[in-house]
Amino acid sequence: MDIVKMECVVQGIIETQHVNALEILLHGLCGVPKEQVRVHELCLKSGPNLGVVPSEVRLLCDLAQPTPSWTVRHVGGAMRGSGADQISVLVRTVVESKVSNNVLRFFYGLGYKLDHEILKVGFAFTFHRGAQIIVTVTSAHKMPKLHAIEEALPISPNIHMVEITAPATAENYNEVVAAVSAFCEYLAPLLHLSKPGVSAGIVATAAAAAASLMSNSASKPL
Amino acid sequence: MTVKWLMHWQPKPGTTLSTQILTEACQCVESIGGQKDGRWRSVLTFYKPMQRDALVPVEHARDFLGLALQEQPAKYYFILRPNRIVLEADASIQVIMEKLQSYKARVTLNFETSFFQSFGISRIPDVEKVHLFYKQGFQYKLGDFQVRVGKCVPSASEALRGIMMEVEYIPLSSIDKSRQVLEEFFDIWQETISKKSLPGHFMHIESNFTDYGLQDRYTSHHTAVQYATCMAQLIAAVRG
Repeated sequence: MDIVKMECVVQGIIETQHVNALEILLHGLCGVPKEQVRVHELCLKSGPNLGVVPSEVRLLCDLAQPTPSWTVRHVGGAMRGSGADQISVLVRTVVESKVSNNVLRFFYGLGYKLDHEILKVGFAFTFHRGAQIIVTVTSAHKMPKLHAIEEALPISPNIHMVEITAPATAENYNEVVAAVSAFCEYLAPLLHLSKPGVSAGIVATAAAAAASLMSNSASKPL
Repeated sequence: MTVKWLMHWQPKPGTTLSTQILTEACQCVESIGGQKDGRWRSVLTFYKPMQRDALVPVEHARDFLGLALQEQPAKYYFILRPNRIVLEADASIQVIMEKLQSYKARVTLNFETSFFQSFGISRIPDVEKVHLFYKQGFQYKLGDFQVRVGKCVPSASEALRGIMMEVEYIPLSSIDKSRQVLEEFFDIWQETISKKSLPGHFMHIESNFTDYGLQDRYTSHHTAVQYATCMAQLIAAVRG
Protein backbone atom coordinates (compact mmCIF):
# COMPACT_ATOMS: atom_id res chain seq x y z
CA MET A 1 0.00 0.00 0.00
CA ASP A 2 1.74 3.15 -1.19
CA ILE A 3 -0.09 5.65 0.99
CA VAL A 4 2.82 7.08 2.95
CA LYS A 5 3.77 10.09 0.93
CA MET A 6 6.54 12.59 1.26
CA GLU A 7 6.24 16.28 1.03
CA CYS A 8 8.80 18.95 0.21
CA VAL A 9 8.06 22.20 1.99
CA VAL A 10 9.35 25.74 2.41
CA GLN A 11 7.73 28.67 4.16
CA GLY A 12 8.06 32.41 4.31
CA ILE A 13 6.22 35.54 5.32
CA ILE A 14 5.18 38.63 3.39
CA GLU A 15 3.68 41.91 4.45
CA THR A 16 -0.03 42.01 3.73
CA GLN A 17 0.40 45.18 1.64
CA HIS A 18 2.47 43.16 -0.88
CA VAL A 19 0.10 40.20 -1.17
CA ASN A 20 -1.56 41.63 -4.28
CA ALA A 21 1.82 41.94 -5.96
CA LEU A 22 2.64 38.34 -5.01
CA GLU A 23 -0.65 37.19 -6.46
CA ILE A 24 0.10 38.96 -9.74
CA LEU A 25 3.54 37.39 -9.86
CA LEU A 26 2.22 33.91 -9.07
CA HIS A 27 -0.55 34.20 -11.61
CA GLY A 28 1.97 35.23 -14.24
CA LEU A 29 4.30 32.36 -13.38
CA CYS A 30 1.68 29.62 -13.11
CA GLY A 31 -0.93 30.66 -15.63
CA VAL A 32 -3.70 29.00 -13.65
CA PRO A 33 -6.58 30.58 -11.77
CA LYS A 34 -6.20 30.90 -8.03
CA GLU A 35 -8.26 28.78 -5.66
CA GLN A 36 -9.85 30.14 -2.51
CA VAL A 37 -8.48 28.78 0.74
CA ARG A 38 -10.54 28.69 3.89
CA VAL A 39 -9.40 25.93 6.22
CA HIS A 40 -10.28 25.39 9.84
CA GLU A 41 -7.31 23.59 11.35
CA LEU A 42 -7.55 21.83 14.70
CA CYS A 43 -4.43 20.54 16.33
CA LEU A 44 -5.03 17.68 18.76
CA LYS A 45 -2.60 16.20 21.23
CA SER A 46 -2.78 12.89 23.06
CA GLY A 47 -4.06 13.09 26.62
CA PRO A 48 -1.87 12.27 29.60
CA ASN A 49 -0.80 8.67 29.78
CA LEU A 50 -2.05 7.83 26.28
CA GLY A 51 0.44 6.37 23.87
CA VAL A 52 4.03 5.21 24.02
CA VAL A 53 5.04 8.78 23.23
CA PRO A 54 2.93 11.97 23.13
CA SER A 55 1.37 12.33 19.71
CA GLU A 56 -0.17 15.04 17.64
CA VAL A 57 -2.65 14.97 14.80
CA ARG A 58 -4.29 17.69 12.71
CA LEU A 59 -7.89 17.82 11.58
CA LEU A 60 -8.50 20.05 8.59
CA CYS A 61 -11.95 21.19 7.64
CA ASP A 62 -12.08 22.62 4.13
CA LEU A 63 -14.63 25.42 4.27
CA ALA A 64 -14.01 26.68 0.73
CA GLN A 65 -16.32 24.02 -0.69
CA PRO A 66 -20.13 24.23 -0.48
CA THR A 67 -20.07 21.10 1.70
CA PRO A 68 -17.24 21.19 4.24
CA SER A 69 -14.98 18.16 4.05
CA TRP A 70 -12.66 16.81 6.72
CA THR A 71 -9.16 15.41 6.47
CA VAL A 72 -6.90 13.90 9.12
CA ARG A 73 -3.30 14.83 8.55
CA HIS A 74 -0.27 13.36 10.25
CA VAL A 75 3.06 15.02 9.65
CA GLY A 76 6.02 12.76 10.31
CA GLY A 77 9.56 13.64 11.18
CA ALA A 78 11.72 15.56 8.76
CA MET A 79 14.37 13.73 6.81
CA ARG A 80 17.69 13.94 8.63
CA GLY A 81 21.34 13.50 7.82
CA SER A 82 24.01 15.57 6.14
CA GLY A 83 22.26 15.39 2.77
CA ALA A 84 19.10 16.85 4.28
CA ASP A 85 21.07 19.62 5.99
CA GLN A 86 22.55 20.78 2.71
CA ILE A 87 19.29 21.32 0.92
CA SER A 88 17.15 24.37 1.59
CA VAL A 89 13.88 22.46 1.41
CA LEU A 90 12.41 20.33 4.19
CA VAL A 91 11.44 16.80 3.19
CA ARG A 92 9.03 15.00 5.51
CA THR A 93 6.51 12.17 5.48
CA VAL A 94 2.85 13.05 5.42
CA VAL A 95 -0.18 10.78 5.66
CA GLU A 96 -3.62 12.12 4.96
CA SER A 97 -7.02 10.49 5.13
CA LYS A 98 -10.38 11.93 4.18
CA VAL A 99 -12.84 11.29 6.98
CA SER A 100 -16.49 11.76 7.91
CA ASN A 101 -17.51 14.91 9.75
CA ASN A 102 -17.66 13.27 13.20
CA VAL A 103 -13.87 12.97 13.31
CA LEU A 104 -13.43 15.49 16.14
CA ARG A 105 -15.81 13.56 18.42
CA PHE A 106 -13.99 10.38 17.45
CA PHE A 107 -10.58 11.69 18.51
CA TYR A 108 -12.02 13.16 21.70
CA GLY A 109 -13.41 9.68 22.40
CA LEU A 110 -9.93 8.23 21.92
CA GLY A 111 -8.56 10.63 24.53
CA TYR A 112 -7.10 13.38 22.35
CA LYS A 113 -7.42 17.01 23.48
CA LEU A 114 -7.69 20.19 21.47
CA ASP A 115 -4.38 22.00 21.68
CA HIS A 116 -5.21 24.94 19.43
CA GLU A 117 -7.28 25.82 16.41
CA ILE A 118 -6.81 28.38 13.66
CA LEU A 119 -8.60 29.47 10.55
CA LYS A 120 -6.44 29.97 7.47
CA VAL A 121 -7.90 32.31 4.88
CA GLY A 122 -6.31 33.14 1.57
CA PHE A 123 -5.64 31.63 -1.82
CA ALA A 124 -3.56 28.95 -3.50
CA PHE A 125 -2.13 28.10 -6.88
CA THR A 126 -1.62 24.48 -7.93
CA PHE A 127 0.45 23.88 -11.04
CA HIS A 128 3.20 21.83 -12.66
CA ARG A 129 6.70 23.14 -12.99
CA GLY A 130 9.15 20.25 -12.89
CA ALA A 131 6.85 18.73 -10.28
CA GLN A 132 3.42 19.41 -8.89
CA ILE A 133 3.75 22.54 -6.77
CA ILE A 134 1.20 24.16 -4.48
CA VAL A 135 1.70 27.74 -3.31
CA THR A 136 -0.57 28.76 -0.47
CA VAL A 137 -0.84 32.36 0.74
CA THR A 138 -2.88 32.69 3.90
CA SER A 139 -3.58 34.84 6.88
CA ALA A 140 -3.99 32.97 10.15
CA HIS A 141 -7.06 33.82 12.21
CA LYS A 142 -7.80 33.00 15.82
CA MET A 143 -11.20 32.32 17.30
CA PRO A 144 -12.42 34.40 20.27
CA LYS A 145 -14.54 31.42 21.37
CA LEU A 146 -14.23 27.68 20.75
CA HIS A 147 -14.91 26.85 17.07
CA ALA A 148 -16.36 30.35 16.44
CA ILE A 149 -15.00 30.56 12.89
CA GLU A 150 -17.46 33.30 11.90
CA GLU A 151 -15.93 35.60 14.51
CA ALA A 152 -12.32 34.78 13.70
CA LEU A 153 -9.83 37.65 13.67
CA PRO A 154 -6.39 37.84 12.05
CA ILE A 155 -3.59 36.99 14.47
CA SER A 156 -1.14 39.34 12.75
CA PRO A 157 -3.05 41.49 10.24
CA ASN A 158 0.11 42.86 8.64
CA ILE A 159 1.64 39.51 7.81
CA HIS A 160 0.64 36.71 5.43
CA MET A 161 2.15 33.29 5.46
CA VAL A 162 3.41 31.74 2.24
CA GLU A 163 3.93 28.00 2.00
CA ILE A 164 5.16 26.01 -0.95
CA THR A 165 4.58 22.29 -0.84
CA ALA A 166 5.17 19.58 -3.40
CA PRO A 167 4.20 15.94 -3.06
CA ALA A 168 7.08 13.52 -3.51
CA THR A 169 8.10 9.91 -3.01
CA ALA A 170 11.21 8.25 -1.63
CA GLU A 171 12.33 7.75 -5.25
CA ASN A 172 11.85 11.21 -6.69
CA TYR A 173 12.24 13.71 -3.86
CA ASN A 174 15.61 14.93 -5.15
CA GLU A 175 14.03 16.14 -8.38
CA VAL A 176 11.10 17.62 -6.49
CA VAL A 177 13.43 19.51 -4.14
CA ALA A 178 15.24 20.90 -7.19
CA ALA A 179 11.95 21.98 -8.75
CA VAL A 180 10.83 23.72 -5.54
CA SER A 181 14.20 25.46 -5.09
CA ALA A 182 14.13 26.67 -8.67
CA PHE A 183 10.64 28.06 -8.24
CA CYS A 184 11.57 29.84 -5.00
CA GLU A 185 14.11 31.91 -6.91
CA TYR A 186 11.36 33.53 -8.96
CA LEU A 187 9.79 34.77 -5.76
CA ALA A 188 13.06 35.94 -4.18
CA PRO A 189 12.50 39.67 -4.84
CA LEU A 190 9.30 39.49 -2.79
CA LEU A 191 10.01 36.93 -0.12
CA HIS A 192 12.53 34.60 1.43
CA LEU A 193 11.49 30.99 1.65
CA SER A 194 13.16 28.57 4.03
CA LYS A 195 12.52 25.36 5.94
CA PRO A 196 9.66 25.61 8.42
CA GLY A 197 10.87 26.93 11.76
CA VAL A 198 13.85 28.71 10.20
CA SER A 199 12.20 32.03 9.49
CA ALA A 200 14.19 34.37 7.27
CA GLY A 201 11.90 37.37 7.87
CA ILE A 202 10.69 39.81 5.29
CA VAL A 203 12.71 40.92 2.26
CA ALA A 204 14.19 44.40 2.03
CA THR A 205 13.53 44.62 -1.71
CA ALA A 206 9.88 43.61 -1.35
CA ALA A 207 8.47 47.16 -1.52
CA ALA A 208 10.36 48.03 -4.70
CA ALA A 209 9.59 44.66 -6.32
CA ALA A 210 5.92 44.97 -5.40
CA ALA A 211 5.70 48.50 -6.77
CA SER A 212 7.25 47.36 -10.03
CA LEU A 213 4.84 44.40 -10.31
CA MET A 214 1.85 46.57 -9.56
CA SER A 215 2.79 49.19 -12.13
CA ASN A 216 3.44 46.53 -14.77
CA SER A 217 0.11 44.89 -14.13
CA ALA A 218 -1.66 48.23 -14.28
CA SER A 219 -0.43 48.79 -17.81
CA LYS A 220 -0.93 45.15 -18.85
CA PRO A 221 -4.18 43.84 -17.46
CA LEU A 222 -4.03 40.11 -16.70
CA MET B 1 -26.17 1.01 -1.10
CA THR B 2 -28.80 -1.57 -0.40
CA VAL B 3 -29.96 -2.92 2.92
CA LYS B 4 -28.07 -5.68 4.60
CA TRP B 5 -28.76 -7.70 7.71
CA LEU B 6 -25.98 -9.30 9.66
CA MET B 7 -26.67 -12.45 11.61
CA HIS B 8 -24.54 -14.57 13.82
CA TRP B 9 -24.77 -18.16 14.92
CA GLN B 10 -25.82 -18.47 18.54
CA PRO B 11 -24.76 -21.90 19.77
CA LYS B 12 -26.93 -23.70 22.27
CA PRO B 13 -25.48 -23.37 25.78
CA GLY B 14 -22.92 -26.06 26.39
CA THR B 15 -22.25 -26.74 22.72
CA THR B 16 -19.25 -25.66 20.73
CA LEU B 17 -18.88 -24.24 17.29
CA SER B 18 -17.76 -26.50 14.51
CA THR B 19 -17.11 -26.11 10.83
CA GLN B 20 -19.81 -28.74 10.35
CA ILE B 21 -22.40 -26.05 11.18
CA LEU B 22 -20.93 -23.83 8.51
CA THR B 23 -21.04 -26.64 5.97
CA GLU B 24 -24.66 -27.40 6.80
CA ALA B 25 -25.63 -23.72 6.65
CA CYS B 26 -24.07 -23.47 3.21
CA GLN B 27 -25.97 -26.54 2.06
CA CYS B 28 -29.16 -24.87 3.27
CA VAL B 29 -28.45 -21.78 1.16
CA GLU B 30 -27.94 -24.04 -1.83
CA SER B 31 -31.15 -25.93 -1.08
CA ILE B 32 -33.16 -22.71 -1.45
CA GLY B 33 -31.49 -21.87 -4.72
CA GLY B 34 -28.22 -20.19 -3.79
CA GLN B 35 -25.37 -20.39 -6.24
CA LYS B 36 -21.70 -20.14 -5.45
CA ASP B 37 -20.46 -16.88 -6.75
CA GLY B 38 -17.06 -15.85 -5.40
CA ARG B 39 -15.07 -15.07 -2.31
CA TRP B 40 -15.93 -12.71 0.52
CA ARG B 41 -13.81 -11.25 3.27
CA SER B 42 -14.15 -8.56 5.92
CA VAL B 43 -11.39 -7.84 8.41
CA LEU B 44 -12.16 -6.61 11.91
CA THR B 45 -9.41 -5.31 14.17
CA PHE B 46 -9.45 -4.59 17.90
CA TYR B 47 -7.49 -1.51 18.84
CA LYS B 48 -6.30 -1.21 22.44
CA PRO B 49 -4.70 1.84 24.07
CA MET B 50 -0.99 1.93 24.80
CA GLN B 51 -0.54 3.46 28.22
CA ARG B 52 2.64 4.98 29.52
CA ASP B 53 1.74 4.10 33.09
CA ALA B 54 -0.58 1.15 33.58
CA LEU B 55 -1.45 2.26 37.14
CA VAL B 56 -2.79 5.69 36.21
CA PRO B 57 -6.54 5.64 35.53
CA VAL B 58 -7.48 6.04 31.89
CA GLU B 59 -9.48 8.92 30.43
CA HIS B 60 -9.78 7.31 27.04
CA ALA B 61 -11.47 4.48 25.20
CA ARG B 62 -10.64 1.00 26.46
CA ASP B 63 -10.84 -0.30 22.95
CA PHE B 64 -12.41 0.35 19.59
CA LEU B 65 -12.93 -1.56 16.38
CA GLY B 66 -11.54 -1.09 12.90
CA LEU B 67 -13.26 -2.65 9.92
CA ALA B 68 -12.24 -3.23 6.31
CA LEU B 69 -15.09 -4.23 4.03
CA GLN B 70 -14.59 -6.01 0.75
CA GLU B 71 -17.20 -3.88 -1.02
CA GLN B 72 -15.40 -0.65 0.01
CA PRO B 73 -11.71 -1.45 -0.47
CA ALA B 74 -10.58 2.21 -0.41
CA LYS B 75 -12.35 2.89 2.90
CA TYR B 76 -11.88 1.97 6.51
CA TYR B 77 -14.29 2.19 9.42
CA PHE B 78 -13.74 2.80 13.11
CA ILE B 79 -16.47 2.01 15.59
CA LEU B 80 -16.34 3.49 19.07
CA ARG B 81 -19.28 1.77 20.74
CA PRO B 82 -19.43 3.57 24.11
CA ASN B 83 -19.58 6.92 22.31
CA ARG B 84 -21.84 5.64 19.52
CA ILE B 85 -19.50 6.84 16.80
CA VAL B 86 -18.81 5.24 13.46
CA LEU B 87 -16.11 7.02 11.50
CA GLU B 88 -15.59 6.54 7.79
CA ALA B 89 -12.09 7.22 6.54
CA ASP B 90 -9.75 6.52 3.66
CA ALA B 91 -7.81 3.28 4.10
CA SER B 92 -4.70 5.39 4.88
CA ILE B 93 -6.13 6.14 8.35
CA GLN B 94 -4.65 2.80 9.44
CA VAL B 95 -1.18 4.17 8.73
CA ILE B 96 -1.98 7.32 10.73
CA MET B 97 -3.11 5.17 13.68
CA GLU B 98 0.10 3.22 13.50
CA LYS B 99 2.18 6.40 13.45
CA LEU B 100 0.36 7.97 16.40
CA GLN B 101 1.37 5.02 18.59
CA SER B 102 -1.50 5.68 20.96
CA TYR B 103 -3.55 2.60 20.12
CA LYS B 104 -2.30 -0.73 18.91
CA ALA B 105 -4.02 -3.23 16.66
CA ARG B 106 -4.17 -6.25 19.01
CA VAL B 107 -6.39 -8.91 17.51
CA THR B 108 -7.47 -9.19 13.93
CA LEU B 109 -10.40 -11.32 12.97
CA ASN B 110 -11.17 -12.33 9.42
CA PHE B 111 -14.72 -12.96 8.34
CA GLU B 112 -14.39 -14.98 5.24
CA THR B 113 -15.65 -17.68 3.03
CA SER B 114 -14.53 -19.17 -0.20
CA PHE B 115 -17.86 -18.42 -1.78
CA PHE B 116 -20.65 -16.01 -1.99
CA GLN B 117 -24.22 -16.96 -2.68
CA SER B 118 -26.79 -15.11 -4.66
CA PHE B 119 -30.22 -15.97 -5.85
CA GLY B 120 -33.44 -14.46 -6.98
CA ILE B 121 -36.38 -14.23 -4.64
CA SER B 122 -38.50 -16.21 -7.11
CA ARG B 123 -36.34 -19.27 -6.58
CA ILE B 124 -37.32 -19.57 -2.96
CA PRO B 125 -39.53 -22.65 -2.98
CA ASP B 126 -42.04 -21.23 -0.51
CA VAL B 127 -44.22 -19.58 -3.13
CA GLU B 128 -46.90 -18.55 -0.64
CA LYS B 129 -44.53 -16.31 1.20
CA VAL B 130 -43.06 -14.87 -1.95
CA HIS B 131 -46.52 -13.71 -2.94
CA LEU B 132 -47.00 -12.18 0.46
CA PHE B 133 -44.15 -9.82 -0.31
CA TYR B 134 -46.08 -8.30 -3.18
CA LYS B 135 -49.14 -7.61 -1.09
CA GLN B 136 -47.27 -5.08 0.99
CA GLY B 137 -47.57 -2.50 -1.73
CA PHE B 138 -43.89 -1.74 -2.00
CA GLN B 139 -42.40 -1.08 -5.35
CA TYR B 140 -39.81 -3.67 -6.11
CA LYS B 141 -38.93 -5.97 -8.90
CA LEU B 142 -38.24 -9.66 -8.75
CA GLY B 143 -35.15 -8.57 -7.02
CA ASP B 144 -32.23 -10.53 -5.74
CA PHE B 145 -31.00 -11.37 -2.33
CA GLN B 146 -27.33 -11.87 -1.77
CA VAL B 147 -26.38 -14.16 1.01
CA ARG B 148 -22.94 -14.60 2.43
CA VAL B 149 -22.19 -17.27 4.97
CA GLY B 150 -18.76 -17.30 6.51
CA LYS B 151 -16.57 -18.07 9.43
CA CYS B 152 -14.87 -15.71 11.80
CA VAL B 153 -11.26 -16.69 12.48
CA PRO B 154 -8.34 -14.82 14.06
CA SER B 155 -5.74 -13.90 11.47
CA ALA B 156 -3.05 -15.62 13.51
CA SER B 157 -4.76 -19.00 13.76
CA GLU B 158 -7.46 -21.14 12.24
CA ALA B 159 -9.54 -21.39 15.43
CA LEU B 160 -13.21 -20.90 14.65
CA ARG B 161 -14.62 -17.99 16.68
CA GLY B 162 -17.97 -17.55 15.06
CA ILE B 163 -20.23 -18.06 12.07
CA MET B 164 -21.77 -15.06 10.40
CA MET B 165 -24.26 -14.39 7.70
CA GLU B 166 -24.86 -11.30 5.62
CA VAL B 167 -28.18 -11.05 3.79
CA GLU B 168 -28.54 -8.20 1.37
CA TYR B 169 -31.73 -7.23 -0.34
CA ILE B 170 -30.54 -5.65 -3.57
CA PRO B 171 -33.56 -3.60 -4.70
CA LEU B 172 -33.97 -1.38 -1.64
CA SER B 173 -31.85 1.06 0.29
CA SER B 174 -34.47 2.07 2.85
CA ILE B 175 -34.18 0.13 6.08
CA ASP B 176 -37.82 0.61 6.97
CA LYS B 177 -39.16 -0.41 3.59
CA SER B 178 -37.03 -3.53 3.36
CA ARG B 179 -37.72 -4.70 6.92
CA GLN B 180 -40.76 -6.79 6.00
CA VAL B 181 -38.99 -8.55 3.12
CA LEU B 182 -35.94 -9.32 5.22
CA GLU B 183 -38.07 -10.56 8.11
CA GLU B 184 -39.90 -12.89 5.72
CA PHE B 185 -36.60 -14.08 4.34
CA PHE B 186 -35.34 -14.65 7.86
CA ASP B 187 -38.43 -16.77 8.66
CA ILE B 188 -37.89 -18.91 5.59
CA TRP B 189 -34.25 -19.23 6.47
CA GLN B 190 -34.96 -20.26 10.07
CA GLU B 191 -37.44 -22.84 8.84
CA THR B 192 -34.93 -24.27 6.39
CA ILE B 193 -32.07 -24.43 8.86
CA SER B 194 -34.24 -25.88 11.65
CA LYS B 195 -34.70 -29.02 9.53
CA LYS B 196 -31.01 -29.73 10.06
CA SER B 197 -31.42 -29.95 13.86
CA LEU B 198 -28.19 -28.09 14.51
CA PRO B 199 -27.20 -27.11 18.08
CA GLY B 200 -28.11 -23.43 17.92
CA HIS B 201 -29.68 -20.88 15.64
CA PHE B 202 -28.94 -17.75 13.62
CA MET B 203 -29.78 -14.47 15.33
CA HIS B 204 -30.32 -11.02 13.98
CA ILE B 205 -29.81 -8.31 16.60
CA GLU B 206 -31.29 -4.99 15.57
CA SER B 207 -28.66 -2.30 15.82
CA ASN B 208 -29.83 1.07 17.02
CA PHE B 209 -28.67 3.11 14.05
CA THR B 210 -30.23 6.36 15.23
CA ASP B 211 -27.93 6.31 18.28
CA TYR B 212 -25.09 6.62 15.80
CA GLY B 213 -26.81 9.46 13.99
CA LEU B 214 -27.50 7.26 10.96
CA GLN B 215 -30.54 7.68 8.75
CA ASP B 216 -32.95 5.22 7.14
CA ARG B 217 -30.95 5.17 3.90
CA TYR B 218 -28.53 2.28 4.22
CA THR B 219 -24.77 2.97 4.01
CA SER B 220 -21.53 1.19 4.85
CA HIS B 221 -21.68 3.03 8.20
CA HIS B 222 -24.69 0.85 8.99
CA THR B 223 -22.75 -2.29 8.08
CA ALA B 224 -19.93 -1.20 10.41
CA VAL B 225 -22.37 -0.71 13.29
CA GLN B 226 -23.85 -4.16 12.65
CA TYR B 227 -20.39 -5.73 12.72
CA ALA B 228 -19.76 -4.10 16.09
CA THR B 229 -23.09 -5.40 17.41
CA CYS B 230 -22.37 -8.90 16.13
CA MET B 231 -18.89 -8.80 17.59
CA ALA B 232 -20.25 -7.96 21.02
CA GLN B 233 -22.58 -10.95 20.72
CA LEU B 234 -19.78 -13.28 19.66
CA ILE B 235 -17.65 -12.16 22.60
CA ALA B 236 -20.58 -12.60 25.00
CA ALA B 237 -21.21 -16.10 23.59
CA VAL B 238 -17.56 -17.09 24.12
CA ARG B 239 -17.60 -15.76 27.70
CA GLY B 240 -21.13 -17.08 28.26
